[in-house]
Amino acid sequence: MTRLINTPGPHLKAEESVSRAMLDVIIALVPVSIVALVFYGWYALFTIGVCVLTAIITELAFRKAMGKPPSISDCSAILTGLLVALCFPATVVWWKVAIATFVAVGIVKELMGGLGWNIFNPALLGRVSVILVPAFFGWLNVHLGGLQPYLGTVDVTTQATPLALLHMGEVPFGYGELIAAFPGGAMGEVSPLALLIGAAYLLYKKHIDWRIPVSIIVTAFVLSILVGANPLQYVLIGGIFLGAFFMATDWVTSPMTDKGKLIFGIAIGVLIVVFRSIGPVEGVAFSILIMNAFVPLIDKATRRPSFSDPRPTTATAGKEASG
Amino acid sequence: MEVKTFEGGAHIPHYKSFTEDKPIERMAAPSEVIIPLHQTSGAPCEPLVKEGDKVKIGQKIGDCEEFFSAPVHASISGTVKAVEPRMTYTGKEDQCVVIEADDGPQEFEMKQVRDPDTVSVDEYRKCVREGGVAGMGGAALPTHVQTAPRQPVDTLLLNGAECEPFLTCDHRLMLERAADLVKGAELKMKSIGARRTLFGIEVNKPDAIEAVNEQIKDRDDMEVVPLAVKYPQGFKSHLIKAATGRDVPRGARSAELGCIVRNVGTTVAAYEATVYDKPLIERIVTVSGPKVGKPGNYIIKIGTPLYHIVEQCDIGDLEGCKIVLGGPMTGLAQSDLNSSVVKSSTGVIVLPPEMVRDTMEYMDCVRCGKCVDHCPMFLYPSEISIYAEAEMHEEANEWNILDCIECGICSYVCPSHRPIVHMVQRFSPEVEKMIKKR
Repeated sequence: MTRLINTPGPHLKAEESVSRAMLDVIIALVPVSIVALVFYGWYALFTIGVCVLTAIITELAFRKAMGKPPSISDCSAILTGLLVALCFPATVVWWKVAIATFVAVGIVKELMGGLGWNIFNPALLGRVSVILVPAFFGWLNVHLGGLQPYLGTVDVTTQATPLALLHMGEVPFGYGELIAAFPGGAMGEVSPLALLIGAAYLLYKKHIDWRIPVSIIVTAFVLSILVGANPLQYVLIGGIFLGAFFMATDWVTSPMTDKGKLIFGIAIGVLIVVFRSIGPVEGVAFSILIMNAFVPLIDKATRRPSFSDPRPTTATAGKEASG
Repeated sequence: MEVKTFEGGAHIPHYKSFTEDKPIERMAAPSEVIIPLHQTSGAPCEPLVKEGDKVKIGQKIGDCEEFFSAPVHASISGTVKAVEPRMTYTGKEDQCVVIEADDGPQEFEMKQVRDPDTVSVDEYRKCVREGGVAGMGGAALPTHVQTAPRQPVDTLLLNGAECEPFLTCDHRLMLERAADLVKGAELKMKSIGARRTLFGIEVNKPDAIEAVNEQIKDRDDMEVVPLAVKYPQGFKSHLIKAATGRDVPRGARSAELGCIVRNVGTTVAAYEATVYDKPLIERIVTVSGPKVGKPGNYIIKIGTPLYHIVEQCDIGDLEGCKIVLGGPMTGLAQSDLNSSVVKSSTGVIVLPPEMVRDTMEYMDCVRCGKCVDHCPMFLYPSEISIYAEAEMHEEANEWNILDCIECGICSYVCPSHRPIVHMVQRFSPEVEKMIKKR
């Protein structure tokens, strides 16, 4: 007898999937990764490799321990690994990024219940987790120092990071370089242009919405004028572009409504300026993580009424009546 | 041309090109019909015939004393083979009358018995009731229930949106039978005391808009409202909002909104029941899908088993396919070719294996917000699905699970492939029970 498929409706389905979206974000990060490879050669490749591998192994191990099926095919572990790598300078010692990745995938994501249940952006919390315990890394560096491979010289690594230079008011790059590509700092910070190309792809694919990145960048731009900085240098240097387009837009840890996205983005922009005003530390990661915690609250506060609860005073109703 | 619409919703591929140019055509009568005695959202009918009885086409074979119900009629002449529970379109067994065709002609004789211009409102209501007319757009509400509203209703809104993909039966009906449609609208308008009729038609049917406009050009009480092509434009609440601008609060009846919505097919069926005494024994059904050899808009007798349609329309190998009775968004998949066409069957849609994407495993919600963006009810399907899955009644109710109109957009767009509508359908009755207990 012929086998007919009988499953509940709707019987049509858009060709979208989580794994496809994750893969698209990975594709969108290819341009900036290439720029990092050009600047840092084998170091960049080595660091990205360590992170991606650690991410895959960590996810497999945690899911096995919790009796869940492997989920490598959803590409989320690979993406987290890549994002963690891009948050570090290429010449970082490998145990530091490995631990950051382990924290990101194992603790921040899998222990929270897996993809969808994490409150914080895994890559960012993984990244900052290794900042919070410097003494431990001092100890590790002493004992594991000999295990860091030598992969050639990279002349920019001994310089101060561009962000530190910005803080001192001694930016050695012209605007062309600042937009196109400049070395120093984390790998994901070397080229706003490459990040924009990737972001354009994600916007075109509708995986991200313009509201969060634009509100972050515009807020930081405007407030930087108030604190007396050069606004263009201020937003182009450091992690603002990477954070705004690739971290703050993470589906799981950002608000769902348009209004919520704007509130979220503006608050992150304000926090970035506050952190940067305190000292030459990059506040992007902390700003996004702090606002991650507020997402449930923002979603609740911006909840729109049901179609069955018409309130003629809301903007929605007014717009519709005239249209 | 001013095009109206609602907020939210989604553009879903139409797939209408298979049949939109196919004129309405009568399908050969089957040798046997299986007519369910319960085809409406009202009460089921009791059989009026028994095994061995001879029946004539159009003869009443089931009725019920409840007001909220519509009788059923023999769609062919022949002998009653059985009155017994059979698998129906709902996927459950239900009482059916099975009729074996005789050799005589199987077409209803159209003889005018009443003049549409002089027929009284009471007579019209009676004809609609006796003709077993029920909502043919999918809702299957007994139509006579809505012919005598207690409050005055100023607007009759005829639903020609046909927003579901694949379906073109209403499109062809408006195009080919615009004159009868307008006459039917006039009868209905009189019965509810409305002062105007609006025809809501999506703009992807410009020829239908033109055909209706041609019929009403000399009238100032009828108007076509062109609607944007967007799903679920044809749902009652959203059609009212788009066409009249009126809000549709929870629990409000159409009459309280001053607006009664009726499907265009139902309007013509009510007209035929009044003028020709022709009960609802057949309807236009869109048979479509990429693998259907002879797709089209066919007049098919109520009770026609799917195997007959599969044969007539040259639908080849069905292995791994999905056959949907109704539209592909809200229709019901069938696992048995013995189930039959009923009054609300807008389409028989055959989806080949490569289009059947909903059998895959689903993942946890990743909070992407796509369902929230598209929900025409402004709900949070993501939250609702999480609470329905966890069987958390209070929370599901707090997120307005009961406002869901089950249009299916959330499941359509979900990248985690969560069967959100199905979760809502399973859990809503439990939430309702909880509320009643209070």
